[in-house]
Amino acid sequence: MIYFEHVTKKYEQSEGDKTEALSDVTLHIKPKEFVIVVGHSGAGKSTLIKLINCEIRADEGKVYVGGIDYKELKKRDIPYLRRKIGVVFQDYKLLPKKNVFENIAYALEVSGVKSKDIKTRVPKILEVVGLQKKEKNFPKELSGGERQRVAIARALVHNPRILIADEPTGNLDPRNAWGIIEILIRVNQLGTTVMMTTHNQEIVNKLKKRVVVLKNGKVTKDQATGVYEE
Amino acid sequence: MSNFLRLFKTGLSSFRRNGWLSLASITIMVLTLITMSLFLIVNVVLNTGIQTIQDKIDISVYFNDNAKQKDIISLQDSLAELKEVKSIKYISKEDALAKYRKQNANNPKLLESLKDTENPLPPSLEIKVTTPDKLGALTKVFDEEQYKPYIHKVSYKENQAIIDKLFKATQFTKQVGLGATAVFTATALLIIFNTIKMTIFARREEVDIMKLVGATPNFIKGPFIIEGAIYGIISTFISLLVIAIFLYFLSPALINYFGGVGDSLSDFFLDNIFALVFAQLFVGVLIGVLSSWLAVRKYVKLN
Repeated sequence: MIYFEHVTKKYEQSEGDKTEALSDVTLHIKPKEFVIVVGHSGAGKSTLIKLINCEIRADEGKVYVGGIDYKELKKRDIPYLRRKIGVVFQDYKLLPKKNVFENIAYALEVSGVKSKDIKTRVPKILEVVGLQKKEKNFPKELSGGERQRVAIARALVHNPRILIADEPTGNLDPRNAWGIIEILIRVNQLGTTVMMTTHNQEIVNKLKKRVVVLKNGKVTKDQATGVYEE
Repeated sequence: MSNFLRLFKTGLSSFRRNGWLSLASITIMVLTLITMSLFLIVNVVLNTGIQTIQDKIDISVYFNDNAKQKDIISLQDSLAELKEVKSIKYISKEDALAKYRKQNANNPKLLESLKDTENPLPPSLEIKVTTPDKLGALTKVFDEEQYKPYIHKVSYKENQAIIDKLFKATQFTKQVGLGATAVFTATALLIIFNTIKMTIFARREEVDIMKLVGATPNFIKGPFIIEGAIYGIISTFISLLVIAIFLYFLSPALINYFGGVGDSLSDFFLDNIFALVFAQLFVGVLIGVLSSWLAVRKYVKLN
């Protein structure tokens, strides 16, 4: 499903001075897997997600997602790729001038889904994330946990085969954080591949899922039912 | 069609929800359109005035009494063939007297004095030229030897200095008007473009989010472009309303100070209201659309 082969990504700090965010990373995530990527700030977790979502391109190595070789991917095809991947961000990235319904509907509108279908699909996904009564609210009127649920609903509304969650519990209190994790587990049980980055030790250790540890841009551990060790 | 409707709805709702930013863009656009329109109206009225003055500039060639009518008609025919001549009219001694009597109908003493004398008025040719700069060239014809015995006086020569000054002044006014319009239009475009650019800059994060959920560049640009068009449409109607109110209240004052100018402005506005609406809509929508398109283009680029 997701395949990184000797991937290196460097960022230019100043002219001619580059730092490696990912260094020779090889990683294979199978369909329907639930993978947690852990690591400190600057370990390369966000770079990994940006590469999957094609926000940036690898300097070396190959990235394949859903059978697509990103080296061969043309710029104009990036939007179509993103519609196949659901992404949840730590800072939610909701459109501030759109209400809950419109934020979720937007992901369908960009794919050309008919208004009639949007009107039936959005309420269903709102039910999944438990926000049926909030569809008219704007993001600023919601709590952090509710905003993250909207972001998850938007990521799931077009039934993606892959769901990427970048620190989805980073800004939430423990109760809301577990609410979000429960939704991700349910989605995974329904057959969606889930890749989540976090540095929340408690969540990682309770989930008992595959854990990939990133340190200074390198994969240092990859365990089937791993734990998070400092 | 449904996609266009969706983009239109999104553009409209985005316009409503971005209240202050929309207001800022519309204010700048209204001010620009008002100034441009007033400039255009004043320019047109000024040009009409200049044209009226130019139309009044003509040459009168007065003939001696010994000039035969056939010689004058022959000169008239040859002058009529010249491209510099717009119109030419022969005024016989009798016509000149009739005209004089008509002009002085209210002055019986003057008319009485003409009774006992022979008609003292000379026959003449009244010539209108296509443009005042052709006057000088045309008067040279009357210096030719063959016409000298008949011609008593050429009126242009007497007023040559004034006419030349007037001609230079009208040319200067036209050039300055044209230059100022061009400079002002360019400045206005730049101001509007930058205002819209700033409003889109303030919303660049929204554009980034749209890209992340899989929107194509055109899908993102659509509502922004529609918003730009809405700015143009609303600004057009506000600016026309303001101009109408302005002219309604200002015309009497202008008439007091500058004679008929106030009337000319109002008349021009009313006579050309549809052309003005169309021109402003065209300019307003074009500026709004173009500015939005150029401004948002930078942010929708993909890696």
